[in-house]
Amino acid sequence: MRILLIEDETALREQTAQQLRSQNLTVDAVADGEEGLFMGCEYPYDVAIIDLGLPKISGIEVIRQLREKSFKYPILILTARGRWQDKVEGLEAGADDYLVKPFHFEELLARLNALARRASGWANATLICGPIELNPASQQVFLDQKQVELTAYEYRLLHFLMLHAGEVISKTELTDHIYEMDQDRDSNVIEVFVKRLRGKLDPNKNLNPIETLRGRGYRLTLPRD
Amino acid sequence: MINPRLSLSNRLLIAVSVVLGAFLGLSAFSLNNAFKSSAETAQKQRLHNYVLTILTAAELTDNGELLMPAKLLEQKFSIPNSGLYAQITSGDQIVWQSPSAIGLFLALPFHPGPSVEEYSVIDLHNGMKLSNLAFGVLWENDQGEQFDYTINVAEDQLMLEAQTANFQRNLWYWLGGTGLMLLIAQWLILRWSLRPLTGAAKDLHAIETGEHPRLTGEYPMELQQLTQNINNLLDHEQSRRTRYKNSLADLAHSLKTPLAVLRSELENSHDLQAFKTTGQEQLQRINQLVDYQLQRAATEGKSNLLAPVSLGEIIHKIIASLNKVYQQKQIHCQFEIERDVFIHADEGDMYELLGNLLENAYKYCRQRVNIVVQSQYQRITLRIEDDGNGIPLLAGEDIIKRGRRFDTQVEGHGLGLAIVSDIVDAYEGSIALEKSYLGGACFIIEIPDQ
Repeated sequence: MRILLIEDETALREQTAQQLRSQNLTVDAVADGEEGLFMGCEYPYDVAIIDLGLPKISGIEVIRQLREKSFKYPILILTARGRWQDKVEGLEAGADDYLVKPFHFEELLARLNALARRASGWANATLICGPIELNPASQQVFLDQKQVELTAYEYRLLHFLMLHAGEVISKTELTDHIYEMDQDRDSNVIEVFVKRLRGKLDPNKNLNPIETLRGRGYRLTLPRD
Repeated sequence: MINPRLSLSNRLLIAVSVVLGAFLGLSAFSLNNAFKSSAETAQKQRLHNYVLTILTAAELTDNGELLMPAKLLEQKFSIPNSGLYAQITSGDQIVWQSPSAIGLFLALPFHPGPSVEEYSVIDLHNGMKLSNLAFGVLWENDQGEQFDYTINVAEDQLMLEAQTANFQRNLWYWLGGTGLMLLIAQWLILRWSLRPLTGAAKDLHAIETGEHPRLTGEYPMELQQLTQNINNLLDHEQSRRTRYKNSLADLAHSLKTPLAVLRSELENSHDLQAFKTTGQEQLQRINQLVDYQLQRAATEGKSNLLAPVSLGEIIHKIIASLNKVYQQKQIHCQFEIERDVFIHADEGDMYELLGNLLENAYKYCRQRVNIVVQSQYQRITLRIEDDGNGIPLLAGEDIIKRGRRFDTQVEGHGLGLAIVSDIVDAYEGSIALEKSYLGGACFIIEIPDQ
């Protein structure tokens, strides 16, 4: 899951970005509205976290412009003052949820997961597809109630595929959503990850959870619970 | 073009002077014209009368000779250079001329024909200017012979001009005098009627220097609205300042407790986990205290000067926002908002009041939230109820009553409700907590509007 974080206070930005990365999330963190708007238009995000009081372009304006350009990913606003007028203005501009500073990181994470889930049509906190169960809060994956050990990138890949279970996802899309902008990327690696995931999630080769569609990408075939 | 700082009385004086000047000038012009034309008409009439005088005095002999008496009724005809002259001609021959015309070579060349009058102004070689009336007569003697004469009566224009000049002089004296009097009167009236304004300015200055807290003088009706509003503004400012001061003091005071707890924990605790827990708790408390006191300080409060805001509009906006945030809860929200319920209040305060109440309702309801807004007898009543578990009535009343010292024991409801209770206080309203027929809490808020 790839997240855009626009926050001008350096300490808070770096701390939050680091905590999010430790949760196996892909994070691009920027410090002002102008850069944030550019990034928001340029890369495919699953959720954006936008502070309302930003230099150059205000948070409200960034949200408004993103929505005007038809970017539909959920947006969570951060507000320092917690005034209702600000919250309402932000939500009216197109944000989906708000959080008042200072916040607990757990709260932020819960909201992010809820927003991402909601955007991809999941109702429950735990994503369940057939025998596979993924808990974004604890980052644990279970196969038939038995925990499966995954590497960070395997987890990210599976999380994204499960969020969009039933949809065809291209390799580029997968790369875009699991790597940050300045990381080296190689789409061939995706094939390796998928192969390993298949090995771990389908040791007996009778489930075939991830389908390959030649020239188009991958699809998680198991039905959502 | 005009200096915007020009004083009111100078503006009025300038305007009045211009209008007065134009008015008096126009009257002078038209009066002068009227006088001139009536003087001319009078002159013509006079000349006509002289012609008749001469006609009656003249006698015709049988052989057609004209006999004139030595003295005419009008004295001026007998005095040389009197300015009034008469001449009787027959063809090109001067038959008779009045003694006044002796030495003047008057040759009045008019033959207008029998019974015809002809008026003209003539310039003589010696610089004289005469108004002349020529009148043609046809006399018949007993034998039936006809004799053709022309009677000319001329009056020196100087007389007319002297008359006009005299009139103009008088006219200017009078009009000028009247104008001056009017200006003086105007200036006095202005001074008198603007005196309350000067007084108000002085009183305002007294407030600036700190002599008085508000405007105390008696003011005329037209100014009362203004001075009343200034007083309201001052009172509003004063109460806001007090609120600022209070919330600052309260904040400093209330921070002492969590700080003391943290310090003693820091000094005495040996268990890191316990210290972490206490630290978190106290930080949370400090954060809430800061939020709460900031909100209190920012509350505008009651004032007559605030523009009306539409409660319906604010509620709709907040509900739209909450529906977004609580999308997954699928809450069914029912409104019953009287149309055009406006309240004279600060928009930000109303957002805080309604936002906190509605968010609590959304947070604690199961599925349903009801909102009723009514306006009656200048009181606005808000009912917000939900179908949640409700707040234990005692705890709720505690929050409401104690207001500024919100109780963190009532999870979640605490801070929001304390803010709501404060705003209601600032608008001199009341807040009550009941059990809703839906099963949850029902908050009833009444706020007087003005």
